[in-house]
This record gives sequence, structure tokens and C-alpha cells, in this order.
Amino acid sequence: MEDSVITFLEKTLQRIPSSSLKSILNEWGFLSAQQLQDLHFQQSKHILHNKVLAFCEENGMRIRHVIQLDMIYNCEYPNKRNWSVYQFSGQQDDALVLNVTEFSQKFKVNLKDLLRHVSIGMKQFEDDAVWIRVAWGDNFTKPNQFKPTYVVYQLQTPYVFISNLNVKHRPLLSQALVIATKHDEIKEIQLRGRCLKSLKDLVLRRYKQSFQTYQPKPLQERHCPERDQGIVHEHAKRLADLKEVATQTFGDGPLPKLETAVFKLETKFKDPENRILTNRPEPFRCAVKFSSPSFLESLKSLVTLGVASTPVSPLLSSIPQKARNHFVISERGPGVPSTPAP
Amino acid sequence: MSVLKTFNKLPELNTANIMLVGSDVSDLEKLSRSIMDENHSFNVNVRLAQSLPLPVENEDSRPRIDLLVFMVNLRSSYSLSLAESSLKFIDPHYFLGKVYFLATGARSSHLSSDLLPSLRKLSASSHSPVLFADLESDSDRLSVARRFLTLLRIAAGLVPGASALFLNTLLKGAPASANEDPPN
Repeated sequence: MEDSVITFLEKTLQRIPSSSLKSILNEWGFLSAQQLQDLHFQQSKHILHNKVLAFCEENGMRIRHVIQLDMIYNCEYPNKRNWSVYQFSGQQDDALVLNVTEFSQKFKVNLKDLLRHVSIGMKQFEDDAVWIRVAWGDNFTKPNQFKPTYVVYQLQTPYVFISNLNVKHRPLLSQALVIATKHDEIKEIQLRGRCLKSLKDLVLRRYKQSFQTYQPKPLQERHCPERDQGIVHEHAKRLADLKEVATQTFGDGPLPKLETAVFKLETKFKDPENRILTNRPEPFRCAVKFSSPSFLESLKSLVTLGVASTPVSPLLSSIPQKARNHFVISERGPGVPSTPAP
Repeated sequence: MSVLKTFNKLPELNTANIMLVGSDVSDLEKLSRSIMDENHSFNVNVRLAQSLPLPVENEDSRPRIDLLVFMVNLRSSYSLSLAESSLKFIDPHYFLGKVYFLATGARSSHLSSDLLPSLRKLSASSHSPVLFADLESDSDRLSVARRFLTLLRIAAGLVPGASALFLNTLLKGAPASANEDPPN
């Protein structure tokens, strides 16, 4: 077995957490049942990996098998990657009736035409998502398996989620995708994040802000544990008001998980006390970045705790509806984000 | 504006009331639950507030407050400024041993370097001791709750022979002069 294949397998195995190693190896199906039984999953990771390597050598493993394993790991843990969202526009007539096999064949043929050494892997899921893994080489070198690009194409929708795409390879991939899906062009929309499910929900408008019109009175008085009866909030009314404002702005249900929101300001500096920077003709460029493990949830709790002043700026509260998290604000008005340059 | 007064209400039998003031509601609730969980031979009522002055609506139902604790998170200057501004709305009689500061988050590595000295200056000027605690784990909260329950018993007058003012003069934590800063 070649050295590169061994290193690739080692690196892939190291990324898999021990808790799901067994299920992933089962799904992979490359090791025989006898070999799987021989592996004792309580042993240390190092010993386990060496055993798996030995078994794979026995079975005559090739690079495409390791590619399959890599794909299974990434499909299982998509939230470890940064995803950007792209949108197709200009549908051609027969774009709706898209056959998956036709799409995959066209895509592979196109990409291989453009670049000789690419390695492509495809997988389809029940929820109409096609996962494509592309490892890039160029006309003289073999594909680099350690930095693959992942593409998730949501069938029947004009949206694609791409992770880890190099600027160099972007035109190639775009062209292959556009031809294979029978659209006219592809454009990046200003939405980026780690949680693939949230991105999908936002973009497909599956996230509906649920507003309860009837608030049932809580029957807490009877079930309150004895110790809580001595605890009284002085500002109980204010806390309840704040909670109401938060639910009015953000809705009741779970919010989509976004990691950042970036606002790039290109407005003129306006501060009457600072005479050096005001009244300059060129705009004052500045970027405001919010980041958090789940930025919208933390904003909602800031409002509930009273740390953020209400009413919440529409720039922030409209993020779930607009399905974007990078904005450019220019001179026309602070609440009107201009269309971003691609 | 309603100022919190010390002696304008009658005390209740075998009862003590403590008021926790702080900007972080979840911290307040954690500490209050630990205090209520702890075994005590007298009734304890906990009142929670984010800042003073208190809303006037609660004036009638509020019992006499025996101990006031200001929770300051050393990671946020907002909580310190809130505590500072709330000090104006307390009757001066409280400063004779019924006001304490509780500083949380001292173990954090992101401490901004001027919050702790400001807190110490504030406690020196108001003659109120600063206690340090972290409310992360159960055992931490238990030890803080026990300390406050002991202080509460004395402040409510349930220990014969001891009073809050007496305790205040005994505690070395109440800094005698603000000028003596320990060399850093």
C-alpha cells in the first residue's frame, strides 16, 4: 500500500472521535465482520488505529476507499466546517426535472475536462441533498487529498453549500456546477456559518418565527418547589416585560445557529465634537463584527437580561428573515443595506 | 424615589430577609437557591433586584431587609457601575455593617486590571467588606451560602449579644483606610 494512502487513512482516522468510530467503520463496510469483531473498541485510540491499518492492508485498500471513509466522516460531522452559500440564477427550461445520475455524470465530465487531475466523490441522501467531494490537483500533480472541497447541492432548490473552496478553483467549480444543473450563473450570497442545518433552514425559509398570540397563564403557583417560595424578584414586572420584548423581536422557537454577523460601514463620520475626522469627503470605513457560538440566541438572552437596550435595531433582528449575515451599509441610510458586491 | 430604609418596618418572628442586588439575573438566582437549600433554623426570605431604586409597587409587601449584598462581576464594569449608583438609594443606617460586596469571577484570566482596585475603594469608602466567591460549582455556592447565612443571622438580631455593627468592627476585611494599598 502506498505511503500517501497510509498517511491519508491515518489522518482521517485521527479526526474521528472514539465514540462514533464503531458506527462509522460499520457504515464504511470495508472491513469484514470478522475483522470488526476483532477490534476491541475500549482500547486506546493508538492501538485501534494500528489494528485498522493492518486490516486495511490485508484487504487491499485503495485510495477510493479512504475517500469513502472521509466522506462518511464529513457527512456525519458537517458542523466542523465553514460553509458558504451560493445561489443559482437563470434557470433553463428543463432544469426542474433534474435526474441525479444525469447531474453527476455531467458534473464529473465537465470538471475532468477543465482539469485533468481531480478526484471526485459523490453521495446522495434521502433529504434530497447530494454531497460532492472534490480533491484538486493541477495538470501535472496528483490531487491533494488533504484539502478537499465539499459541495452540498440541495436538489429542487437553487442553493449550494460549499466549504473550503480555493479562489483559484472557484471558476472551475462554478462552471461545472452551472453546466451540470442547467442554470445560467452562480453567485455567492452573503451568508456564512458552521451549522449546515441552520443554513439550510434559513435559506429555504423553513425557519418561521412563531408568535404565540395566546399566552396561557402559567400554573406555577401550585407546583412551585418549597424553596423557591421565599425568593422574590423585586423587578419581576420589568423582567417579564423584557422577556416579552425578546419574544416579540425574535419569536418563540429555537433560533438558527449563526456564528458571526459582520457589518461593513461605509458612511461618513458624524461626530460634532471631533473636528478632525468629520466633514471629510471620503467615507469612514469600519467593520463591526459580532461573534459567538450561537449569535442570535446570545442576542436574545442579552435582551432578556436587560443588558441590551430595547428596541433592538432592525439590522440585527431582521437577520433571520433576510437570511444573510454579511452586510454593507452605505450612505443612503443606516437601515438600508446596499446590495453587496460579489 | 424610594430609598431603602432600615427601621421603618417591624421585624417578623424568627425571620431574616436578605436582598441580593446584581446585574446578572442567573447569578442572583443561583445564589438565592443555594441559600434557600441550606439548612437554617429560622425563616429566610430572599429578595432579588437588578438595581436600586426599587419599584414603589413592592413597598408594602417588602419586609424589613436585614442584609444587603451587592454582587459585582469582576469581568464586567457595568455591574460595578450599577452597584455604585445603587448605593445612593440606601438609608445610611445600612452602612453600619449590613452592606456587603460579593465579587465573582476573580479566577478569570481576562480580568480588566482596574475593576478590583475600584471595588476596593468603593468598599473602603462605604465601610463594607468585600467577599470573594465563584458561583460555578455546587460546593462553591454552598460555602458562600453558609457564610451569608451566618452574617444574616447576626444582622437580623437572632444571635443574642452580637450585632451587625459589632461584627463589622471585628472583620479585618473592612479596610481601615483606603490609602494603604498593598504593594503589588
